[in-house]
Amino acid sequence: MSAEKKEYLLVDENGQGKPDKPWIFRTYAGHTNAKASNELYRKNLSKGQTGLSIAFDLPTQCGYSSDHEVSRPEIGKVGVPINSLEDFRILFDQIPIEEMNTSMTINGTSMWLLSLYVALAEERGVPLEKLNGTTQNDLIKEYLARGTYIYPPKDSMKIIVDMYEYCLHKIPKWNPSNICSYHLQEAGATPVQELSFALATAIAVLDAIKERNCFTEEEFEQCVGRISFFVNAGIRFVEEMCKMRAFTEMWQEITTERYKVKTAKYRVFRYGVQVNSLGLTEEQPENNAWRILIESLGVTLSRNARCRALQLPAWNEALSLPRPWDQQWSLRLQQVLAYETDLLEYPDIFEGSKVIESKVKALKEEAKLEIQKIIDMGGALVAIENGYMKSQLVKSQTERLSKINSNELVIVGKNKWTDGIKSPLMTDSDGGIFKVDPKSAEQTLNVLGEAKARRNAELAKKSLDELKQAAKDGKNLMPFSVACAKALVTTGEWADALREVYGEYNPPTGVDGQKLFLSDDKVSTVRSKVEAFTKTNGHRPKIVVGKPGLDGHSNGAEMIAVSAKHSGFDVIYSGIRLSPEEIVQSAVEENANVIGLSILSGSHKEIVKQLFDELTHYKAKIPVVIGGIIPESDFEELKAMGIREIFTPKDYDLMSIMEKIIDIVSKEPALVS
Amino acid sequence: MIDTKESLSQLVSEALLGEKYPIAKIISRIETEKNLEFREALFQELSLQKPNTKEGLTIGITGTPGAGKSSLLGELCRLFLEFAPDKKMAIVAIDPSSNVSGGSILGDRTRVQLPRRDIRLYFRSQPSQLELGGLNPYTYHVIRFLRQVFDYVFIETVGIGQNEISVSLISDLSFLVMQPLGGDQVQFMKSGIMEVPEAFIINKCDEESLANSSYYMLESTLEFIKDILPDQSLPPIFKTSVTKRKGIEELLQYILQYQRRKDKNTETLTQLSQWIRNEYGRWGIAIWEELESSKWNRAVKQNPLGGIQKLKYEEEERKVVSLIQTKIK
Repeated sequence: MSAEKKEYLLVDENGQGKPDKPWIFRTYAGHTNAKASNELYRKNLSKGQTGLSIAFDLPTQCGYSSDHEVSRPEIGKVGVPINSLEDFRILFDQIPIEEMNTSMTINGTSMWLLSLYVALAEERGVPLEKLNGTTQNDLIKEYLARGTYIYPPKDSMKIIVDMYEYCLHKIPKWNPSNICSYHLQEAGATPVQELSFALATAIAVLDAIKERNCFTEEEFEQCVGRISFFVNAGIRFVEEMCKMRAFTEMWQEITTERYKVKTAKYRVFRYGVQVNSLGLTEEQPENNAWRILIESLGVTLSRNARCRALQLPAWNEALSLPRPWDQQWSLRLQQVLAYETDLLEYPDIFEGSKVIESKVKALKEEAKLEIQKIIDMGGALVAIENGYMKSQLVKSQTERLSKINSNELVIVGKNKWTDGIKSPLMTDSDGGIFKVDPKSAEQTLNVLGEAKARRNAELAKKSLDELKQAAKDGKNLMPFSVACAKALVTTGEWADALREVYGEYNPPTGVDGQKLFLSDDKVSTVRSKVEAFTKTNGHRPKIVVGKPGLDGHSNGAEMIAVSAKHSGFDVIYSGIRLSPEEIVQSAVEENANVIGLSILSGSHKEIVKQLFDELTHYKAKIPVVIGGIIPESDFEELKAMGIREIFTPKDYDLMSIMEKIIDIVSKEPALVS
Repeated sequence: MIDTKESLSQLVSEALLGEKYPIAKIISRIETEKNLEFREALFQELSLQKPNTKEGLTIGITGTPGAGKSSLLGELCRLFLEFAPDKKMAIVAIDPSSNVSGGSILGDRTRVQLPRRDIRLYFRSQPSQLELGGLNPYTYHVIRFLRQVFDYVFIETVGIGQNEISVSLISDLSFLVMQPLGGDQVQFMKSGIMEVPEAFIINKCDEESLANSSYYMLESTLEFIKDILPDQSLPPIFKTSVTKRKGIEELLQYILQYQRRKDKNTETLTQLSQWIRNEYGRWGIAIWEELESSKWNRAVKQNPLGGIQKLKYEEEERKVVSLIQTKIK
């Protein structure tokens, strides 16, 4: 090397070329049961994956044990079921947790899962200082977009602060919470909304920590340093890169100005990424591979805002669960990018770019205004409780869908260049998708049953009573939770104990007063059909939009509710996590003309059966349609059960959906005439 | 489908047993345009199957948006099941949302979590259809029907100012729900509706001192207008908090023990006059008052014992229509 400094190269202190270390490679994984997930993790680690990202099933996320009646259809579907310490022993079998960076995507029950991890470490004799990883614990995005909250906002925030306090003293390398704007984009957030809602959330967490006043100044700075973010990288990758640069700069400003953090390393914006699944299409799914690559670029190209960990969806995620091979393909993409290309050899390649700088500036200015608005309102918690943030997201989502409907937003293979040759990737005997063996739930239930039978029942009860008392007294709950974990208390028992003290939260749905921006011929066709119905029957058609089960992704249901109103229906929509019994009771009492279900968790067959059983109980014949991620191979069975129409992500045209629904309703004999 | 005598009678008998689907179907039929004949048949059938029994108490719950009416009702339901094991209640929630398409999103169920399959509780939403007064044109008839099936019928409406009045016209006991220090007091004094509700609720009393200061403010405001209150005694004021589960049991006990009923003849005449005004305007009212109602009013006044035959709404409506028809010709 010559003495002359080459600006384009990254060098070490001796002037030797020294590329950056790659980000952590993860795959968000977990399914079936603890044993199957353990095997999967060990295989993935042997393939060059460098961190674990655990996906939990919906009952675990919502605080129910597998033997609860609402869990039955969901066990092991979208992640691994964890009932007690026994499952963690199986899940981490032969995995050295002291060497892992473990990310747990868990929110409502994050304190519980961390307690299990702590109990496991202590059992193995691993010093807690060695534990490294993250519990997501971002309740705000759960209230807004994903729906696995349990307790009211203030109590949830209290639990988060408890974890910060505990971790700082006991597990200093653990990130107790991780502000997640990922699902906000999935729910339709614009880059400005992603920036402002995520930063307002971080401010809410830090304000709550400050308010408890349990840390010295130095400790508080460390807390700030532990805040990490989890973001979404969308397809408009230049804008997305600018968003990441804006995030970095704004976080520097907030930590310096609002929190007076003096130590530079605690002001760094640390983030992990899962690239966008929202834009992945069910049509021509092979195109998704390119989308995933492009989306990865936004968060890796720019050294000043490069992610610390990356996980990529699989090309077939819009169809159903990916197979191990699909996940391997995604991991290989990261490895190609990091090891084959020269990406990591350069300093920031966009520094000084006028375009990038002014775009970043514009995003920052807008986001600052929005953050100020939320702070003026009383902060993120207030903006959740009064429904402001939710209604803003629903609004963005309706705008986005309106644009897809009117072809203003091009999606290749969906609303443009839709004719294509069928993908050979889909022709394997498994149909190109992964299905959880329904029998595998038995294994989970056996482990749960054995753990309950074997444990010291008195000790379990005593630790639960102490947890409840501590919650009533406002004490830090972490030590009590760890005691519960060691006493083999179950996920459901832990969550129920706190439900008893805090109650369960039911947030605003955000659909009130929403308008669609659609006014084409199709809208008037649908409206005239609705008017015709109204004229014949003397009243408007009524639809109950139901979101059954534990899957909280409510975007689809919200869009249908807003579109139905737009078409002239009277709409009953009561939010997420309803039982089929509750949905049918609403439909019966309201004498609805049609029930529309939205199910994305893969539990449609079980739930539809429960729903029809309940309709039979009331002797009610109300037509039922269903929308969600439903593989074609299930269509026939669902129709045989009585489902009148099935909508999948292919059916993005809202008015076509509404037209099919009004046609079904109009053909029904009038219920009373 | 239910026009034949036989099936209506079946539907009514099932409804009287509390079965949800028949009740729902009857309400939909009442909510249908041109329903006079159906109503006649329905109420005749009801009087045949359920003669001379006491009608349910109607309770109006109204107040500004955000006062927490629905959550309060949700908590009332929960306690009702516990404290009134042999009684049944229904809720009609009127949602003001409406837009150009005429469609609506009815979100009130969201706040009221109901037990499943329990025939002691029934919840029904209604769009207000832009009608002033917070009531839907069919609300009155739906309530009349539900009073035959349920011991208590709650009507929840959103109102700001004068519009609360109409709900109190069709309920035996009406509550105005306010938030602590909402600044509502002065507004209500101005709009002159303080004398309308039978009782007041200050909801969201999550914090003691704020609750108390609001309570005393309202009390002194009411004292100020005491002279114009119907019976010149101060109406009760309840302090409630859903999150702290406070004051709601007292509220429920008050409702369960409430005995006074409003005169249903007055109610019938009021609703009829509203209906005529909607359909035929002041002209219709003039004809009705001159020729029909005046006779009735005289009869009502002239009978000192009060033993008046109860007015039948549909009969009166028919009389008015035919009278007005003759004038039009």
